[in-house]
Amino acid sequence: MTKMTLGITLSISLSPMLFASTSEIDELKNEVVLLKQMMKELKKSNNELRAYQNVTAKNSFVPASHNALSKLEASIEEIKTNLDGNEKSGSQLAGYASFGWQDTQNNDNEFDLVQFSPIFHYRYGNMFQFEGELEVKVEANGDTEIDLEYAAGNIFLNDYVGLIVGKFMSPIGQFVQNGHPSWINKMPSTPIGFGHDGAAPTSNIGVELRGGLPRFANTRSNYAIFVSNSPVFGIASDGDTIIDASGKTSSNGVSKTWGGRFAVNPTAGMEVGFSIASGDIAEELASGKKIARDYDVVGFDGAYNYDNFMFKGEYVKQKVGENVLSTLDGGIWKAWYSQLSYQFQGLNLEPIVRYGDYHNQEIKRKQWALGLNYLFANNVIAKLAYESNKDEDNSAVNSKANDNRLLAQFAFGF
Amino acid sequence: MKNIMKLIIPLTMFLTFSVNYAFANEHKGDSAKGAELWASSCMHCHNVREPADLSKRAWKYSMNHMRIRAGFTGKETRDILAFILETKTTKDAE
Repeated sequence: MTKMTLGITLSISLSPMLFASTSEIDELKNEVVLLKQMMKELKKSNNELRAYQNVTAKNSFVPASHNALSKLEASIEEIKTNLDGNEKSGSQLAGYASFGWQDTQNNDNEFDLVQFSPIFHYRYGNMFQFEGELEVKVEANGDTEIDLEYAAGNIFLNDYVGLIVGKFMSPIGQFVQNGHPSWINKMPSTPIGFGHDGAAPTSNIGVELRGGLPRFANTRSNYAIFVSNSPVFGIASDGDTIIDASGKTSSNGVSKTWGGRFAVNPTAGMEVGFSIASGDIAEELASGKKIARDYDVVGFDGAYNYDNFMFKGEYVKQKVGENVLSTLDGGIWKAWYSQLSYQFQGLNLEPIVRYGDYHNQEIKRKQWALGLNYLFANNVIAKLAYESNKDEDNSAVNSKANDNRLLAQFAFGF
Repeated sequence: MKNIMKLIIPLTMFLTFSVNYAFANEHKGDSAKGAELWASSCMHCHNVREPADLSKRAWKYSMNHMRIRAGFTGKETRDILAFILETKTTKDAE
């Protein structure tokens, strides 16, 4: 019975196989072969992967990735350091540029000014800074004129003393050393007597000490003292007798110029300065011989800003002594100006009025100027001004001294 | 006047060079004092430049430049720079 039952059960269980066709069996066989091949390939891949891992482990591939990452992080840190200005030494370019137009009485109106003044700074920490400014201008005939306004190394000896060596702007007064850049000067023109070869010295070549002093009775003050090569006295190409007080690399065989400026800030927003200089001025005679004359300079300057009002004023006098060997008379070159401006913050408008006066033994001139500026930004300015010039005795060699002018200028600092 | 100048200036220079580096220190600037100076001093010569006008890097060069031009002490320079960089960071974050 049991044998019979087992036989029937087996027969039922195996019946599908018994009924399976030959083709189905072949298909199953093929599938088995395929599965075996796939298993072989998987084993092969697995072996290859293990071998690759062994090789990379031997060659320290993973630590190398870490090294690369470390280098990348170091590079990023260096870039960040440079961007933040924390590098030990480096340089940068600053400066200003201006473009002008003028309509002068008895003359054609013309686009008379294209000026670009790059200022190069090199810094070594907070110990040293070199500064150099070029003044690049296009002349009336299309030629380009390049002047080295200043180029000086500044060594900060301590918190109160900077030692300056090279060519530096004259510390006499304020306009020449700080007010001349076109984006700073609120007028499109220079105050009469404060330009090149006027009453104010422009630059020196020598050594200067300057800085801020410790507060006294809570009052701030600053100073500058210098020794430099002497200026030159003579006749310019236009026939005017001039003091050429721009820096020279020759002392022309005469004594050096010694001088300086001391300024105090009695209240916030106010600065009052006093300047003096003394030495010899050189003159070359027709024979080629160089002679010395006495040379003295005195200056006063003041600046005060209250609310949106800004007042500036300055006086400077250069005195040249006599020398019996020369046919040129000595004398006094003096100039002063005062300027008042007001900024309408919401409108970005700034009206300005300026009065100036310039005297020497040949010239007695007065100048009024009325201007209006539009400030696209505090360092991007469009200026429009009318300038009235009056030569009191009309004895000037330059016959254009009486010509009034309408001036427009676009200036920016960067 | 020439003789007086010749006496005063070399004497001043000698005294100046006699001062050692003890005055210079590496203390951080005081931004509150810097703000006060920034507001009251810059306008003597030019329109105020906003902290956002220049990069942090450019401000460090410019403040050295202004130390020379405006006659700031080293400490005053650091104070103004601290104010500018602090304000700038705030503005950059806005």
